[in-house]
Amino acid sequence: MVTNEELFKQMADAVIDGDDENCVALAKQVVGQGIDPLEAIQNGFNRGMQTVGEKFATLEYYLPDVMQSANAVGAGMKVLQPYLLERGDVSSAGTVVLGTIKGDIHDLGKNIVGTMLEAAGFTVHDLGCDTPVRQFVDRAKEAKADIIAVSAMLTTTMLYMADLVALLEELGLREKYKLMVGGAPITADWAATIGADGYGETASEAVEVAKRLMQEKKGRDQ
Amino acid sequence: MIGFWDVIGRSETGPWVEEKEFNWRVGKVASRLVDEYGIEYDPEQVVPADDGLADRLYHAGLDLFLQLGVYCRDTGRVMEFTRDEVEWVLRHAPRSVTYGQGRDVAVMTAREVEDPKPPFCNMTPVGTPVAEERFVPMVQSYVQEPLADTFSSAFSQTVHGRPIKADTPQEVEAAIWNVIKLREAAQAAGRPQIGIHNLISNAASTDAILAAMQPAFGVQPNDGLCIAAMAELKVDYERIKKVACLRQTGHSKYGLYGTLVGGYAGGVEPTAVVHVAYHFLGLLVLEAQWHCGFPLHIHHMCNTTRELLWLCSTTAQALSRNTHLLNTVNTFAAAGPCTEMVVYEIVANALAATVSGANLDLVAVARNREPERASGMEARIGAEAGHLAARQGITREQANEIVKQVLALYESQMDDAPIGRRFDECYDLETLHPLDEYVDLYERCKEKLIGFGLDYSQL
Repeated sequence: MVTNEELFKQMADAVIDGDDENCVALAKQVVGQGIDPLEAIQNGFNRGMQTVGEKFATLEYYLPDVMQSANAVGAGMKVLQPYLLERGDVSSAGTVVLGTIKGDIHDLGKNIVGTMLEAAGFTVHDLGCDTPVRQFVDRAKEAKADIIAVSAMLTTTMLYMADLVALLEELGLREKYKLMVGGAPITADWAATIGADGYGETASEAVEVAKRLMQEKKGRDQ
Repeated sequence: MIGFWDVIGRSETGPWVEEKEFNWRVGKVASRLVDEYGIEYDPEQVVPADDGLADRLYHAGLDLFLQLGVYCRDTGRVMEFTRDEVEWVLRHAPRSVTYGQGRDVAVMTAREVEDPKPPFCNMTPVGTPVAEERFVPMVQSYVQEPLADTFSSAFSQTVHGRPIKADTPQEVEAAIWNVIKLREAAQAAGRPQIGIHNLISNAASTDAILAAMQPAFGVQPNDGLCIAAMAELKVDYERIKKVACLRQTGHSKYGLYGTLVGGYAGGVEPTAVVHVAYHFLGLLVLEAQWHCGFPLHIHHMCNTTRELLWLCSTTAQALSRNTHLLNTVNTFAAAGPCTEMVVYEIVANALAATVSGANLDLVAVARNREPERASGMEARIGAEAGHLAARQGITREQANEIVKQVLALYESQMDDAPIGRRFDECYDLETLHPLDEYVDLYERCKEKLIGFGLDYSQL
């Protein structure tokens, strides 16, 4: 029988290879050996996905590779999810409501961020593109979101991000959700100007920002 | 024969596919075709002189288009086409497009690989955000360039002091303001009837564009508009609405394709295949009279890296050798104005594109995301390099050697490219001449470029 560490490494490698069949088989092995599924996810699948993210950042991997790996993780997670629920573990790294803002139909960057967030263990509710400001708020409430993540690719649509902040404040919800923004015309200055909590220039950065925001939120909620 | 409404009918009757599944197919099919057609990137052949490679790439792109079709986002259906239909539209594609009126007329035509005919040069700040009071001077700095055949717009951050929001009444007002100011810039430059290849870059909605495209605002009958396809190989009805409007007018229209290396297609070779395929989308769905490609690197957001230069060159050769389509390469540089890096990036891209049979769209700088960072000097730098490539009769082999030497001057800085100077730090806003510092910097760069084989005395 392989040690836990060896099994976790195999899980990470299966993710890096985008091998969904192997991810399922290894997840079953985790269950069969009575290993803590949360530990296996963190040290196996998540570690593999971190490597995938790093490879994407250097374009050693391309988007289809990232999508393949994310699919493989998803397949493995389907096996582990019932055991997590049985144990009362919360497997999600956080809940994110994600979308491209009103008037904007660009979704490639948003989709990459969504894929990377899911692969990093976040539950992502993707609202698609051309999303009205109000819909971000409504969906965040429904989904009990931790983070609202907004993308804009146009100078004429990024202004709606400020409207979202204003609406959250008006509804007394600004402190309830962390807000992160991104997209081609978005800069750290713009994020600061509108009072967003985080900004990621790349998809990998966005994932790191989301993790940081979750830590801040947990710290504040405790 | 296939007509516009036949094409649009397919957006209602084609097979229904999940968008995510279509995204998957792009990468899978492109990757398979790269293997089948033996398409290989060679970092030492940035400007390949391999006709076989260019032809294989063309046929791979056509094959990919026939296998994938075009995804219509509004209906979730794939618009499929036959080889006969593609070949029919290719045969009947425009052989020239005329811009401007009177003494400012300019005619874009197709170019051959290593064509001695200078490239047609569209000059534009590519929608760079600029303060309202500097909009006309910035645009004028492009129009006044002697090698500019057409021009288009910066992006004014406000109109009448108000920010421009998509899908609002301000957007309509801003679009009208934009076309009025563009013509004003042309008049100020002493080229009152020069063509505008893209009238509106501050509004996306069809109603705003229709409101602005009126003769009363200085719009000429053959001024034009771009219609951008969506990544990768997708359209929606908002785009097709523009086609429906424009096909009933004399206004020119062109397709805009921003294929992403590292995106759904994958690496540089499959992305090149997809980039070729976009041109068939443009012909069939957008009824594009000419085609503007701005393939980008997903992280660097420019097309002056070694891989992207290869992609620009090979795709231009593929199209030039196998069609009479009017193609341009839109240079996107990582560095900003008044830097040595931006000079070298633009020269490398313009040389690679011109000897490969493309016309030029000049130029986005500072990754096209830094407000106020754009000026007519960058367009001049690209146009001069393109004209020299043609006038000197530079071959692909010679261009490859020059481009590699130029690449060596900036390649290592790609991650930390300087954003450069603001427009008002590059130009005297009274005379609208570039400041001595920028002129001197360009002259210093030219000395190196002369050493590599460019003969600036031939301009």
